[in-house]
Amino acid sequence: MKKTLALFLVFLMAVSLTACGGSNESGSSASGSPEAGSKDGKVSIIITNGKGEIATQWEQAAKDFMAANPDIEVEAISQAVGDTVNLLDKLTASGKTVTMAMMAPDSIVNKYKDFGVDLSGEKWNADTVYGVKDASGKVAGFPFSIEGFGLVYNKSVVEKATGGTFDPYSINTRDKLKALFDKIQASGVKYPVAYQTENWSVANHYSTQFLNQAEDPSTIVEQLKAGTFDLASNPVWNGYYDTMDLLASPQYNKYGERPLGKYYDDAHLSVGKGESAILFNGNWAFDSLKAVSGESFGFIPVPVDNNPDNPLNNKIAAGPTNILVINKAATPAEQDAAKKFLNWIVYDQKGQDFLVNQAQIVSAFKNNPNKVTNPLGAAIAEAVQAGKTLPFSSNYVKVEDWGNILAPDIQKYIAKKESRTDLAKVIENYFKTQK
Amino acid sequence: MEARKKAASFLTYLLLAVSFVLFVFPFFLMLVNSFKNNGEILESPFSLPHSLDFGRFAEVIDKMNFFVSFRNTVVITFLSVLFIGIFAAMTAYYMVRRPTKFNNGLFALMVASMIIPFQSIMIPLIYIYGAKLHWIDAAPIPLLIILYIGFGSALSIFMYHGFVKSIPYELEEASLLDGCTRPQTFFKIVLPMLAPTSVTIAILNVLWIWNDYLLPSLVLTKEQDFTMPIKMKVFNGTYMNNWELLIPALLLTILPVLVAYLFGQRYIIRGVSQGAIK
Amino acid sequence: MITEKSRLKSLGNQLFFTGPTIIFFALAVLIPFAYGLYLTLTDMTSPINPIKFSGFGNYKTAFMDTAFWESMWLTVEFVVATVLIINILGFILAFLVTSGVRMQNFFRTSLFTPNLIGGLILGYIWQFIFVQTLPSIGDKLGIEWLRLGWLGDEHLAFWAIVIVTIWQSAGYMMIIFVAGLINVPKDVMEASTIDGANAWQRLRNVTLPLMVPSFVVTVFLTLKNAFMVYDVNYSLTAGGPYGSTTMVSMHVVQKAFSENIYGVGQAEAIMLFVIVAVITGLQVYFSKKMEVAA
Repeated sequence: MKKTLALFLVFLMAVSLTACGGSNESGSSASGSPEAGSKDGKVSIIITNGKGEIATQWEQAAKDFMAANPDIEVEAISQAVGDTVNLLDKLTASGKTVTMAMMAPDSIVNKYKDFGVDLSGEKWNADTVYGVKDASGKVAGFPFSIEGFGLVYNKSVVEKATGGTFDPYSINTRDKLKALFDKIQASGVKYPVAYQTENWSVANHYSTQFLNQAEDPSTIVEQLKAGTFDLASNPVWNGYYDTMDLLASPQYNKYGERPLGKYYDDAHLSVGKGESAILFNGNWAFDSLKAVSGESFGFIPVPVDNNPDNPLNNKIAAGPTNILVINKAATPAEQDAAKKFLNWIVYDQKGQDFLVNQAQIVSAFKNNPNKVTNPLGAAIAEAVQAGKTLPFSSNYVKVEDWGNILAPDIQKYIAKKESRTDLAKVIENYFKTQK
Repeated sequence: MEARKKAASFLTYLLLAVSFVLFVFPFFLMLVNSFKNNGEILESPFSLPHSLDFGRFAEVIDKMNFFVSFRNTVVITFLSVLFIGIFAAMTAYYMVRRPTKFNNGLFALMVASMIIPFQSIMIPLIYIYGAKLHWIDAAPIPLLIILYIGFGSALSIFMYHGFVKSIPYELEEASLLDGCTRPQTFFKIVLPMLAPTSVTIAILNVLWIWNDYLLPSLVLTKEQDFTMPIKMKVFNGTYMNNWELLIPALLLTILPVLVAYLFGQRYIIRGVSQGAIK
Repeated sequence: MITEKSRLKSLGNQLFFTGPTIIFFALAVLIPFAYGLYLTLTDMTSPINPIKFSGFGNYKTAFMDTAFWESMWLTVEFVVATVLIINILGFILAFLVTSGVRMQNFFRTSLFTPNLIGGLILGYIWQFIFVQTLPSIGDKLGIEWLRLGWLGDEHLAFWAIVIVTIWQSAGYMMIIFVAGLINVPKDVMEASTIDGANAWQRLRNVTLPLMVPSFVVTVFLTLKNAFMVYDVNYSLTAGGPYGSTTMVSMHVVQKAFSENIYGVGQAEAIMLFVIVAVITGLQVYFSKKMEVAA
C-alpha cells in the first residue's frame, strides 16, 4: 500500500513538475518580450487583423506605431486563414476584450451590430468617402482596404486580338463584350474566358451586382425583405444572368462543358499564361496570376445590357472590404489609443507606407501619396480616382448566407439544373426569412 | 511447393510495390515541389525541379521560427504521448481485470466520448479555460498537455482493452501470490507484455498530436508557445496559398515523425521477440 | 477475477489505476461537453453575444432543418462506401507487411505517409489530379467519362471524396492491424500448420479470431471517422458542386460558425453525436462479445 501511494505521488509530481516547467518557461520568455514590460500608466490594446496574408506587416505596423507612441502597448493578432472560429469570437470567448477588430463591412449591421463605437467625429472622415455606417447611420467602420471586382483581362492577349492599345471602358455593352470574345477567338485563343465558379464568386460578388441599380443598394435589400421586389421581372437582375450565360457558355468558356468544378487555380493559370484572356474576379486575383506570369492585367466592367449610357456598364464595383471597428466594451483610454492607431495609418508617413507599400492595399484615403505596384490594385485605385466605381455590392448582404445558402442554387443555375425563375424564387424566399 | 512459395512472394512484392506507388506519390510530389517556385508548382506539380535550391528551406526555418516551434512541438507531443500511454494502460488493465459496473460504465462513456464532434466543445473549452479559469493565459502549454491526455485516453484505453484481454492471467496470479501488490504486478509483468501495443498506440498518438492544428490554435496565443502546425499557417493566403514555402514547411514538419517511426519499428520487433522468450 | 480482500485496498487500486485518467478526461471532455450541452439551450447567435436561455427551441429548429437530414443521409452513403473498403484494404496491407518480406519496415513507414500530409496540401494535390490530370489522361486516351473534371459532377465529386478518404485511412488502419498480427502467437500458427491446415484455413480459424480486438478498434474508428468526415470534404470539394457533397459535419460547422446561428449548429452537433453514438455503441457492444479472452 505504501508503495502504491509512493508511485501515485511520483506520478502526481511528474505531472506537476511538467506543469511548473512549462509555466516557468513561458513566464520567463514573456517577461523578456515587450508586452509584459508594461508599466503603470501605459495603455494596452489588442488589435486583430482578418487578412492572414498580411500578418507580418500587421505586426510590424504595431511595432512602428509603438515606437512613435511609447505610452501605448499594442498586441497585434492575426486571424489564420481557414480557421473555423473567427478570431474576434475566440478572443472574446476566452475572456479578452479586443480593442479594435477587423471585420467585413456587412458585420456591423448584422453579426456585430452592437459592437462598435461611433467614429463619425474622427478627423479622417474628411479624407474618405468610404467610412462604413452602422444601422443607425453613423460611421462605425474605418475603411481599411478598398477592393473591387470585374472582368479581369490579360492585357497582351486582348491587345493582340484588338490590335493596339485597349481601353477596358470601351466595352460598355454586352454585345461589345461578345464581339471582344469573338475577336480574341479569331486571334487564335480557343477559349477567351476561363470562368471559375467558386461559391463566394458567383454568389457574394457576381449575384449581388443587381443591387447597384439603386443609388443606395440597401433600399433594394429592404424591398426584398418586405417581399415587394420582383426579381424575375427585373431587367437588371436578368441582365446580369444573361451576361453570366455568355461567360459560362461552351462557346467561349474553357469549362463550358462542365462549368462547375474547382477551377480557381486552373482559371488563373490559363489567364496568367495567356491561354485564356478573361475571368471574373477581384484585384486579389493578382496573387495567383503573378505566380505564373509577368504580364499586365486590368479590369473590364461587367456589362448588364446593351445600353452604352447605363452607368452600370461603365463602372467597376469597388469599395471597402475590410473595416476596423473599435469595441464599445473597451475603456475610453483604450478606445482613444485605438483611434490614435487609425490616425497613424491615415496621416503618419510610416502608417501610409505600411498600408500601401508594405501590405499592398488600395487606400481609401485621398491623402495617401503611395501607389500599389500590383496592376489590378492600381486599376482599382485609378477607378476610385476617376469616380468610375459602383458600391461593392456584397457589403449589403450577409456574405456567409450567400456563400452557404444561396450559392448552391446559383451554381445549379450555371450547371443548367435550375431555371432562372426558380432561382429568383429561392432568393426572394431567402430574403423573406430575414428580419 | 517451392514454386508456389516463390509465386506467393512475387505476388506480395507486386502488391506492395503497387500500393507503395499509390500511397507514396503525394510525399514524392512534396519532395519534388519543395524545390520549385509558385509558378512551377501551379503549372506542373508533377515535373522535376530545375535545381536543388535549399534557399526556401532556409527562409522557412527563419519564418516559422523553426527551432522554437520545433521544441514546443516536441515537448508537447512527448509529454502528452507518454502520459496518455501510462495512464491509459493502467486504466484499461484495471477495467479488464475488474469489470465492475462503474468500470464498465466508465469504459462505455469513454468510447462514446470519441464521437463528440470536436467543433461542439471548441467554444466551451475557450470559455472555461480562458474566461473562467485563465489557464490559457497563465500556463498554455501545460493546459494543452492536460487536454491532450484527456482527449487521447479514450482511444488508447479502447485499444489496450482488447489486448489486455489476450494476456494470460496465470502470470499475474503467480506474481500476486509472490506477494507483489497489484500496481507492482502491473508494472513488472503486464506493462512489458503490452510493449508492442504501447508502441503502436504511441505512434498513433504522435501522428495525431504532432500534426494537430485545431486544439493548439484554441489554446496557444503567444508567439513563443506556437507549435509547428500553427506557425505553418503564415504561408496560407485567403485566395492563394504560398505553396513554395508551405510545402517545404510541411516537409520539415513531418520528416521527424517518419524518422521516429522507422526507429519505433525496430522497437516493435524487439518487443515481440522478448515476449516470445517469456 | 481480482478479489481484493480489504475494501480499502480495492478502493486504493481503483484510485491508482483509474484516478488520473478520470481527472484528465473530466477536464478535457466531460466538463466542456456538459457546458456545450447547456449552450444548446440558449439562443446564442455567435460566441460573442450574451447568453440567453431559450429552452428546446434550437433542437426544434435543428429537427426541421431538411438540409441537416439531407447531409446526414449523404454521410450514411459515404459511411457505407468507405468503412468496408478501408478495413479490407488495411488488413491486406498489414498482412503483406508482416509476411516477412524484405524491407517490410520501409513499406510500413511509407504506407502511412498519406496520413501525415494534412488536409490542405492533400486537397490541393488531389484537386489537381481530379481537375487537371485525369481529364488530360482521358483526353489523350479518348476515354469519354474521364475527359471532364471530376469535381463538377455530383456523383464523381462524391466518389472523389471516397477515394481520397480510403487512400488516407488505409495506412492508418494498417498500423493497428500490424499490432494485432504481431500479437498472434507463432506457436499457435506452427501447430496448425503441422496439423495440416492450409493458408486459408489458418487465416480463417487462427488469425481472424485473434484479430477481433483489432477489428473492434478499426471498424469503430472508420465508422466514427466517416460519420465525422470534415477535412477532406472541406479541402477537396468544399461541399460543391452546388452543395451536393456537403456532409453532415460541414453542415454543422457552417451553421454554428458561419451562418451565425451557433445554438442551432451546436444542437445539430449533439444530434449527430447521439446518432453516431448509438450506431457505434451497437457495433462495439456486439463485436466486443466476439473477443476471445486468453
